Amino acid sequence: MGTVAPRIRVVLLAAASLVIASVPFLTDDRYLLKILTFVGLNAIVVAGLALLLGFAGQISMGHAAFFGLGAYTSAYLTTAHEVPWLLAVAAGTLLAATGGLLLALPSLRLKGHYLAMATLGFNEIMSVLFVEMRGITGGNDGLSGIPFPSIGSLVIDSPAAIYILVWAVAALAFVGAANLVRTRPGRAMRALHGSELGALASGVNTVGLKVQVFAVSAALAGLAGALYAHSVGFISPSQFSLEFSILLVAMVVVGGTGSLTGPFIAAVALTLLQYVHALIPGLSKDAAALIQDWEVDISGLVMILTVIFVPGGLAAFLKRRRSGAGVEGEIA
Amino acid sequence: MGSAELLQFAVAGLKNGSIYALVALGFTLVFGSTGIINFAQGEFFMLGGMLAVFFVKLGLPLPLAVVAGVLATAVVGLAFERVALRPRRDSGPLALIIITIGGSMVLRSLSRHAFGGNELSLPAFTEGPSIVVAGAAIERQALWVWGLTIVAVAGLSWLYSKTKFGRSMRACSLSHEASRLMGIDTARIVMVSFGLAAVLGALAGVVVAPLTQTSFNVGARIGLKGFAAAILGGLGNPIAAVVGGLALGLVESMSIAFISSTYKDVIALVLLLVVLFVRPEGILGRATREKV
Repeated sequence: MGTVAPRIRVVLLAAASLVIASVPFLTDDRYLLKILTFVGLNAIVVAGLALLLGFAGQISMGHAAFFGLGAYTSAYLTTAHEVPWLLAVAAGTLLAATGGLLLALPSLRLKGHYLAMATLGFNEIMSVLFVEMRGITGGNDGLSGIPFPSIGSLVIDSPAAIYILVWAVAALAFVGAANLVRTRPGRAMRALHGSELGALASGVNTVGLKVQVFAVSAALAGLAGALYAHSVGFISPSQFSLEFSILLVAMVVVGGTGSLTGPFIAAVALTLLQYVHALIPGLSKDAAALIQDWEVDISGLVMILTVIFVPGGLAAFLKRRRSGAGVEGEIA
Repeated sequence: MGSAELLQFAVAGLKNGSIYALVALGFTLVFGSTGIINFAQGEFFMLGGMLAVFFVKLGLPLPLAVVAGVLATAVVGLAFERVALRPRRDSGPLALIIITIGGSMVLRSLSRHAFGGNELSLPAFTEGPSIVVAGAAIERQALWVWGLTIVAVAGLSWLYSKTKFGRSMRACSLSHEASRLMGIDTARIVMVSFGLAAVLGALAGVVVAPLTQTSFNVGARIGLKGFAAAILGGLGNPIAAVVGGLALGLVESMSIAFISSTYKDVIALVLLLVVLFVRPEGILGRATREKV
């Protein structure tokens, strides 16, 4: 990021924010707003996962489960116990963070591939629990009638209002993450990614750092999940499957390591890929169905090709174009 | 619970355990020669079953279809290594893990395009009623499962200990650099170990398909179970993979017998996490320190 003049960055950032903020004033298409809300929700998860995978170099294949944990917690508390929305969302976020902490404490002492498998196992365990703990989760039928977000007497029930709420949280997540990576913990994370032994030798508490980053990123996934539950009103186990976890990883990989902008762009692109039919008006039904049918293949292939040919992802590509300089962060 | 019933559960456990063992052997083989976990291992299992069904539908006699299914999967395994992994051979584990994750996504999805989203079944290798031993019924297909597992393990042990190729593989698992200096073509070893891992996975997928049916999305969970088995025994050691597989199968079926069938998958996975956390080197493994 340091290669672009700060002024240009500010202008670009302001332009992007303006575009995102002006959407509800330009359209009242409920479906379109809903899709763009999903984009915002995925962006929140990706902000956390980019910290974990792109900066600290730790892979998680369980973020769909944290997303689900947040969604089910908040949905259950508001429907079964009429807990106020804000409190329920906070509980969902906290539970996801705690889950992340409990998973991370033992497994982050392990090497990369063990962690990947541990988180994958966690995702599968949660998938079974979401189905089997019927008393809380409603089993395969899921939970329905989840109330809209509300604070006191203010009910956020229009698609435009929900859109604004989600994107406001996404903006906060990215600002928070951007601040984090610029400060001491961010430098420590990059050191960790570069060489764990080197970081350790330089006085970085690598295990503590990894656990903290993992918990933060699980919390963001839980927060997004809770927001998701209240913006769609219905959740069921299939929405929190391993496929979603892998898609999230794909977003960060394609977006690039050591960057927040890259993963953000990739999150937007790969989320929209699922909804091409609604975005390109002229697209024939058959073409849209074809793209949807091949969406997983496209994501998977793009992920492989990125690692092989552009290891630094979208971010490195942008950087190279702008500065002509070498690539700084790659998946090593 | 009577002894006949208990025996019945033990038979089921050993049957599933053999399948886990075959998948675990695939993990171990690739880990041995490359030091990475192949997240597409479960997809080899899936492809074996699906391709055999496909060849039967083409009109091939069952034995030929089975062999063709296994061989075609081997080709996929070799091609996957050559095309997707070799270009980044010298990168760290994270890049390679991500490539295998992407590979499993693509293989699963391509299989859905090619063979459809339905459950498919393969005829039993030998027709006929189950054999009753001491009150426990054993399906004829289970004998095939055990037979093929024994053949695979024996073949692999022979390859590892008696052939020049096996010695090269073991050398590679110690150090690629040193192996290369000794004149071993490490790239070829890595590619062949992917091919062999694909054969083992496909074999498991083919032989169990008559019992459980198969579909495009069975790979992820069996991959996880096979990995759990490999970890349980101790990653990198073929005998340990078999012990881990059988142990996992028995634990699973005993937990169905005594606890609940609903949570049998959870029990296997919790076991995986516990072993990972408490004793990542496995039951039979020795603790190793990461090389600097």
